[in-house]
Order: sequence, then structure tokens, then C-alpha cells
Amino acid sequence: MSAAFFPVATLATSLLAAAIIFLLPEGAFRARTGLNLAAAVLKIGLVAWMVRGLSQGHSYAVEFPVLEGLAFVLRADALGIMFAGLSSLLWLFTTVYAIGYLEDSPNRRRFFGFFSLCVASTLGISLAGNLFTFLIFYELLTLSTYPLVAHRGNPKALAAATLYLRFTLTAGLVLMLGMVALHALAGDIRFGQREVLAEFGAEQRGTLIAIFWVLIAGLGVKAALVPLHGWLPRAMVAPAPVSALLHAVAVVKAGAFGIVRLVYDVYGAELSQALGLLTGLAIVASVTILYASLRALAQVELKRRLAFSTVSQVSYIVLGIGLFGPLGTIAALSHLLHQGMMKITLFFCAGNYAEELGIHRIDELDGAGRRMPLTSLAFSVGALGMIGLPPLVGFLSKWYLGTGAVQAGMPWVIAVLVASSLLNAAYFLPILYRLWFCPGPDHGVGEWPAERHLGRFETSSWLLVPALATALFSVLAGLFAGLPYSPLEWATRVANLEYLP
Amino acid sequence: MSAAMTPLLWLALVAPLPLGLLALWKPPYRMRDVVIAAGGLPLVTLWLLSRAGEGALQGSLALGGLSLHWRLDALAALLLLLTQLVLLASAAYAVGHRRAALSGDASHARFWPLLGGLAVALGVIWVAADLLLLYAGLELMGLCAVGMMLLPGKAEAIRAGLRYLLYALVGSLAWLLGVALLLGAWGTLELSALAAVAEPDITTRIGMALLAGGLLLKAAIFPLHGWLAPVHASAWTPVSAVHGALVVKASFFILIILWRLLLPEAVAAAWALGLLGAAAVLWGGLKAWRADSLKQVVAWSTVGQLGYLMLAFPLLAGAAAPVAAMAWQSTWLQLAGHALAKAAMFMAAGNLMFSTGASRLADLAGTSRRLPLSLMTFGIAAVTLMGLPPSAGFTAKWLLLQASLASGQWLWAAVLVLGTLLTAAYVFRMLRCSFVEEAPRHEFQPLPRGMDLTPLLLALAAIGLGLVAEWPLSLLRQGGVP
Amino acid sequence: MTSIALILLALFCLLDRYLRRACVVFIAFALVMSFAWWRLGAPWLAAAELLLGALLTGGVLLHALGRAGDVPRLPQRDAPTRRGAQAPLRWLAALAWLGLTALAMAALFGTERLILAAGRLPEGGMISLVLSGLLVMALGLWAFAHYRHLLRRLLAFNVLGSGVFLLLAGLAGTAPEVQGLILVGLVVALVGSVLGVLLLRRLHALEGSVTLESEGGP
Repeated sequence: MSAAFFPVATLATSLLAAAIIFLLPEGAFRARTGLNLAAAVLKIGLVAWMVRGLSQGHSYAVEFPVLEGLAFVLRADALGIMFAGLSSLLWLFTTVYAIGYLEDSPNRRRFFGFFSLCVASTLGISLAGNLFTFLIFYELLTLSTYPLVAHRGNPKALAAATLYLRFTLTAGLVLMLGMVALHALAGDIRFGQREVLAEFGAEQRGTLIAIFWVLIAGLGVKAALVPLHGWLPRAMVAPAPVSALLHAVAVVKAGAFGIVRLVYDVYGAELSQALGLLTGLAIVASVTILYASLRALAQVELKRRLAFSTVSQVSYIVLGIGLFGPLGTIAALSHLLHQGMMKITLFFCAGNYAEELGIHRIDELDGAGRRMPLTSLAFSVGALGMIGLPPLVGFLSKWYLGTGAVQAGMPWVIAVLVASSLLNAAYFLPILYRLWFCPGPDHGVGEWPAERHLGRFETSSWLLVPALATALFSVLAGLFAGLPYSPLEWATRVANLEYLP
Repeated sequence: MSAAMTPLLWLALVAPLPLGLLALWKPPYRMRDVVIAAGGLPLVTLWLLSRAGEGALQGSLALGGLSLHWRLDALAALLLLLTQLVLLASAAYAVGHRRAALSGDASHARFWPLLGGLAVALGVIWVAADLLLLYAGLELMGLCAVGMMLLPGKAEAIRAGLRYLLYALVGSLAWLLGVALLLGAWGTLELSALAAVAEPDITTRIGMALLAGGLLLKAAIFPLHGWLAPVHASAWTPVSAVHGALVVKASFFILIILWRLLLPEAVAAAWALGLLGAAAVLWGGLKAWRADSLKQVVAWSTVGQLGYLMLAFPLLAGAAAPVAAMAWQSTWLQLAGHALAKAAMFMAAGNLMFSTGASRLADLAGTSRRLPLSLMTFGIAAVTLMGLPPSAGFTAKWLLLQASLASGQWLWAAVLVLGTLLTAAYVFRMLRCSFVEEAPRHEFQPLPRGMDLTPLLLALAAIGLGLVAEWPLSLLRQGGVP
Repeated sequence: MTSIALILLALFCLLDRYLRRACVVFIAFALVMSFAWWRLGAPWLAAAELLLGALLTGGVLLHALGRAGDVPRLPQRDAPTRRGAQAPLRWLAALAWLGLTALAMAALFGTERLILAAGRLPEGGMISLVLSGLLVMALGLWAFAHYRHLLRRLLAFNVLGSGVFLLLAGLAGTAPEVQGLILVGLVVALVGSVLGVLLLRRLHALEGSVTLESEGGP
């Protein structure tokens, strides 16, 4: 019973929450908030239970046939549960933040309904046991994020949402084509059945390579690989919790996670290396990292700079995948988690500045550290982590990437890493300088664009607490990286599963 | 095989007509009455389906010197179930529609016998196994459909209805001429006997071409679709739902059954039909994208979606067994998914138009806040039309893509991709209009709860069908591909 | 004899601009059809044609031109038609229809495979039925593609239908299946004519128009 119960229950938690939220009247603020938080906490509990069970050797899976020779499979494996853990933990914080952020704004029922649906899809993506199931939730994610991006209903938001759809729906179709082609070639491959494709002979290699790149093109849109990243900076018009969701929890992560699944659980690292696919991935990732960092330098809006930073940071995951060997894998998987925590902190803080002080541009941030010290502290932790300062988590990712590059015999990657770290510093340090060292309105110079006093502290505690919590998590994950169940330790465990027979 | 099956089948087939006449005499005022009166029919069909493993049920009716053959196999039973469910939903919706939108319109009562006649006609078409019975069913269906379309009685409705009537009449003459040729050449009207003796010579081909011409006209397949959109523009919502979901499909059903029996190997002609389908997908999608009024979007989308069904012809003709099996299953899954979703979509669109009192897309601004349920229903139905997971449309598209890749006919895969993008374009164009916030406030009419729930249930059924597709498809596989 | 009478009557029915006279000629046409069925040994079909074709359909068509309360009557004479934009397409469809049928006829008579009809009809009777059927059908098609006036199109449809029935009988004799098909066809033609006439009168009452094309465009 428990084998089937947990994956279904975890998924049902968010789906039911979404359904009930749609049925509740718009004014039922308390019921909705309670339901949201209860569902989030319950889900973390269920995921934690599965993490414990997995490490004790239990397995959780459920499946039923949809077509002849094609099944709907939900299965919690080490890799999937890692992503599920990340998304459910960050969902809790994002929910808290969204409740505070959207106080008194219209259409909250629609927002939270699709918000829950979005997280349900993310969870489905993490628990999917084959490409078909993955695709189902991947497309569901596209559909459920559209109303969130279009939420404000002004022309700018609608245009961004339309652009988002154009990219993601087309990508979904490309992905589907690739999956159907793979299915026609090899049948229903469960994640982890790497031997299926490995057994194909040399005459099928061309087809396999072609299908791989078609699938990467489909996944690369959500993972925002250059040149498929165009939707991400434009989607910045969405409310801050949605940006956090897009950038840290759900959308770009779904793309990156899909690439992880494709390389490690469908093709297998050995086959991918043998087909020369990994080198290609590493090159695409390096181009993305450098190009997006350069673009980030040129941005004057805070959220746009963060968006380009996301484009570049997510590609660290892809770069790690491209480095053949356990160290590269560890870097990729741990960065999947680390980037989520750091980036969500940064977006929460950006949202706080916008809500409390009306700040959208970087040059308006002068002296904000004095007015909002805790928010600015959290922002600094996130930014320094992104640059890769030890002992923060970003340093771990870069360290493993560097050593992984040596292991994979691709020393040029180190040059990319150094260049990108310099660029990271070049676009984050000026912000920190403005925050802490430039005189601003609180020193009597100029005034804030639109100051509001939202709470007893520097801003509403609904907004402040999630930012601080995620910042704290990213510090702790770096300090205690060696302990069991830390992101790094779990990533190492997954990498061992991949490389040790 | 139990002896009760045949009488029960005919009860399920014929019962709608007396029910319709009863409703003409005493129109129902509550949805509950409709569900109580006709809700047993799908149950009977379900029971018949559960016995489908024992082989097809068949027999003949003797009328004087004439014998009419019928046959209930898994496909016919599944289609009968689909028909009953969609018609039941439309009937329930019609009760609410009459109460909300047409109170005081006496002509509404005439809807019921026509609906009953339509149900009988569709049932006869699904089970018919000879050309005469098919002809009778087709004509009864066509005339009932025209009658329903004309109920509103406005000048545009009459003009569109007259055009539909003339096309339908000429289409049936083309059909009759084709039947005459087949009868003259092979001396029988019974399908299985015809399939046994008929050879694909020139007479059969010409007869089939005439039959196909008549059926394509009735099924509104590109380029003979001209009558469809105007007819829907002024029809009542439940009528549009029934028409878009079932009536056009029946002609397609007859066409594909006859085609498989008489010309299974005619590859070039099948490709021609497939190309017509491809043109329909693209043209219907483009017109739906450019349409201004909500109902026109939905009507043109029917033209496009029917095109997907036509892609079955080239994939079935002379194909390897696995490819043909995939194309066959995908066709019926697509047909069922589209029937459920299109009925839901017409109803949701009707709800939106009734509540806002406007029919143009631009007037939908603000509906996402005021009419979330109708909009949600429209969106869920649209998921099936776009073929996004986990809907029946998605599963059908997966099978169709697999069939076209496996047979090396890449063209159809490209058509599917383009069609999906076009569908997404017109669906989201409409949804985008509803998200606009800066809009003048409209007066929003309240809707009876049942009018919201009926399409929602249909749309959810279309989604759910994608996940439980294995059940109907396994029944279909038992019957094999003809 | 009967065949020639049918063809001539169809011609007069379709060419006459005076609609009342055209309808009367159509009734005569249906009477001759009924006579032809009787001669072929299908008395029930003859009765059905008499009742459904001549009496009811003819009556309904005449009713279209009659008086009804304070609503203005339909014009009794049809003006010459102009060519529409869709005309070439219609002509193409009609020609394809005719060409295909003629081709099939040629193939059928070439192979001597008219199974049902063999033995029931004299060879000459069969050929004359098929030929008159083809000609009547051609006239009906021409008129249907050519005219805009809805009453004339209904007449053309009925003539076209009769042509198809004749062809059917010529190819397959008067077996029960054939009688069944023709009977269904007659009922459909009747119901179609009734619906068409009622709608035409209503359209005329609402908008004063007797064609499908509205004032602005096609």
C-alpha cells in the first residue's frame, strides 16, 4: 500500500489544494491561507518521509497503462526525490511570501489556484518515472504558469505571457516529437533503464544523436539555454513570487532537471560520452554562461539583471552534466539545489525593495542597506553565494565544477568558470556597494521612489521571513555540506548510483 | 450471448424518440427530469459493452421482401455510448438554457422531438450494416440537424439553414448515386457481402468517389466546409454542441468504414483525402485565429479538428499492421475526445456570451474575474483541442505521431505540429482577451449552476479519457482494423 | 415514349420563368414518373410517387407561390440571373458529377455485369432508362448550378433526384432494395421541399429576398 500511496498522496496534496482553492470564494482569505500553508507543510512531511524511506531501501512507485506499451509511471528515486524536496521546501517559502505580497490585490483565488497547480506539476515532474509522464507534467507546468505570468492583466504582462507561451508550447511540441521518435525506436524507457539505448548498434548512432538534440532543444527553452532564453527576461513583469517560482523552483529547474534525466537516466552518462553529446552540452552551457553574464552587466533594472543571472547560473547545471565523471555530476546536481536557494533569496529581496520602497532600478538602491538591513543582508548572502565566495554554497558548486573539468579532461572549462566568476562579481558587487556604502534617502540624500510602511519591521513580516529563511538555508547548506541529507551529500549519493555499478 | 441483448439494444436505440415526443407534449423544467428519463440509456450501453468480449452482436430486420442488416461491434457500442452521453449532457444543458435565455420562446419545445430523432438516427448509423439502413439514418440525421439549426427563426439563421439544407440534399443525392453504382455493379447493399464480392475496379472507384463527395459535404471537410460556420453563428448553444460534436462525425464514420471495406489499398486516393485533411487543419486554424466572434472561433475550430481525422486515411491505406492499428485507435480516440471537448466548448462559449451579453472576443475583458468557472471550462476543453497532456487529444496525437513516424510519412507529423500551434494561437488569443483588467464593467447575468457544471463535466471527461484511454482502446483492438 | 415525355417535361419545368406553370409541369413530370414505375412492375412505388412526389411535393411547391394572410406573395416570375463569383466552382462540381457518372456507365455496360437487372428488364428498356436518367440528371444539375431563385433550385433538386432514381432503376431493376432506396429518397425529397418552401416563405416575409445571397454580397 505504502509503495503506491506516497507518490500519489504527495501529488494529490497540491492538486486537491488547487481544486479547493478554485472552489473557495474570492473573499475567503483565511481559509485559503490556511489551506495553502497546511498543504505545503503536509507535502514537506510526505517528501521527508519518502527521503527517509528511500535511504532505508524502500521503494515508492505506482503505474498504470495509458496506451498499449506506454504507461503512466510515478516513482520516487534518489534524483527525483531530491528535486521534489527542493520544490516542496521552496514552495512553502514562496507561498508565505505570496500571501504577503498579494495582500489586498484582486484575483487571488485564480492566482493561488494556478500557483498550487504549478507546484503540483513540478512535483509530478520530479516523480515522473518515464519520459511520457514527464511530458505530461512538463506541459501542465506551461499551462499553469501562463495565468501567473499574465496575472496583472496589463498589456505588458499579457505580451510577456504570450511570448512565454510561444516559446514553451513550441518547445513542448519539439519535445513531444523527440519523445515519440525515441518511443518508436526503443519503446517505453523507464528512467534508469540505461541499458536499453546502450544496446543499440553503431548504425543507430546517428538517429540517437539527432533525437538527443531534438529533446535538448525542447528542454532547453525552459532551461533558458542561449539562444532559447528570450522569454525569461521578458517574463519579469510577473509578480515577484511568480518570478521566484519561474527562476528558482519550477520552470527553469524543470528544464534543467529534464536534461539531467535525459542524460543520466535515459541515455546514460557512458553512452552520452561515447556519442560525443556531453562535449556539445558543455559548449552550449559555456556560451550561455558567458553571454548571459555579459547581458546581465548591461541591465539597469534589478529584476532584469537577476533574470540574466538566472540564465547564466542555470547553465552551470548543464555545464556540470557536460563534464563526464562523478565530480561533474555532483556539481550539476548540487547546483540544482544551491542555485534554487540563492536565486529565490535574491528575488524575494528584489520584491521587498519594490514593495516597501518602490525600487525597480539598480541606481535607486543607494543606501537601502540602512533602511532595510535584514533584507539587504539576505540579498548580500545570495549575491556573494552567486559569485562563489566560500563558505557559501555557490563556492561548493564552482569547486566541484572546476575539479570535474579536470577529471573530464576539459581544462578550458576552468577558464570559463574564472571568467564567469569575474563577471558575476562585476554585476553583483556594484549592487552591494550601493546598498551598504552609498548615501541614500536615509542619509538625507534624495528620496525613495514610493515608500510604504508595510509592517512593524523594515517591511511586512510575511515578506521578510521567507527571504531570511532561504538566505539562512543557503548559508547552512554551505557550512554543513558534509552532514547527511545536505544537498551536497545527497547529490554525491545520486552520482554514486550513476557511476558505480 | 444472452437473449436479452438484442431487445435491449433496440430499446436503447429507439427510446429517445418517444422521450422526445413526450417532452414536446410536456417540456421538462428541471435538469433532473432529463437525467432521470434518459440516464438509463448509457447504462444499458455500458452493459452491452461489458459483454463486447463475446463478439459482435448482429442480425437483420425483415420488412416485406427487404432485409436490413445491423451489427453491434465494440466500435459501434463505444460510439453509441459517446453519443448518449453527449446528447444527455446537451439535453440537460438545453433545459437550463431555455430557462435562462429563452423563457417565453414557445418554439423551444420543438427542440425535443428533433433531438430524439437525431439520437435515433445516430444510433442507427453506428449499428447499420447495409447501405439502405445507412442511407435512412444519414437522411434522418441530416433533416433533424437542419430542423434544429432553424429553431431560432432569425433571418440569418434561415439563410444559413437553407444553404445547409440545399447542400445536405445534394450531398445525399450524390450518396444515392454512388449507392446506385455499387448496387448495379455488385448486386448487394449489405456491407459484408459487398466487401466480399466488390473489386476495386473503375465502377467501385467512381461509386466511392460520389459517396465520398456526398459525405465530405455533410462532414464539412475542406473545401466543402462553407456552410458550417454560418450555420453555427445563429444556432442555439445546445444545438451547436450536438452538431459540432456528433453530426459531422457521423458522416466521417460512414466514409471511413466504407473506404476500409471497398478501397483499402487505394493509396493515392487516401493521400488525396489526407491532403484535404491537412488543408482543413491549416485553413480552419487560420480562420479560427482571425475570427472575431467567440462562436465563430469554436465553429472554425471544428473545421480544423475534423482535418485531423482525415489523416487516418493515408496512414491506414496499405500500411503495416502496427501502423494501421495505431492510426485506427488514434482516430477514434481523437473523435471521442473532440466530441466531448467541442460540446463542452460550445456550451462554455454560450455561457460566456449569455452572461456578458456580447459575442465578440474583445468584449470578454474582465471575464476571468467574473466568470471564472465558464472560462476554466473553456480552457480545459481547449487543452483537449490543443492536444496537450493529459487529455484524450494528447494521447490521440501521440499515437498519430507515432504512426506517421513509424510509416515514414513525415508530412502528417508536420501538419500535426502546425495544427497544434494554430490551435494554441486561437485559444490563447481568446483567453488573453479574458485576462484584460482595464475594461468597462459589464452587467453580468447570473447562470444556473447546472449550465456551468454540465460543460465542466464534459471537459473533464475529455481530459480523463486521455488517462484511461487503454480501456476503450483495448476494446477497439479486439475488433481489429477492418 | 415515357422516357421522351420525362425528358421534355423536365426541360419545360426547368426552363419556364413563370414559376406557377413550372410547378404544374413538375406535377405532370411526377405523374409520368409514377406511370413509369407502374410500367416497370412496381405498383407500390408508383403509388408512393403519386402520393409523395406528385401530390405532396408538387402541392408544397405550389403552396410556396400561394397567398398567406397579409404577407406579400412571392414574385410569380423569375428575372434572368447574373453570374456569381462561386459559379465556376459549381459548374466544375456539376461537370465532375456528370463525367464520373457517364464514365461509370460506360464501364458498367462494357463489362456486362449488371447482375440484378439481368433478366428482369429487357435490354432496351434498361438502356433507355439509364439514358433518360442521365439526361434528366444533367438537366437537374445544370438548373441547380445555374439558378439563384430558391424555388427553382428546389425544383431542380427534385428533378435531379428523379434522374438519380431512374438511373438506379435502370442499373438494378426494381428489386426490394431499390424500392427501399427510392422510397427513402422520395420521403427525403418531400421533407426537404417542405422545409425549403417554409423557409423560403419566411425569408421572403422577413427580408423580401428569394435567393441565398444577401443584399451586400454573396
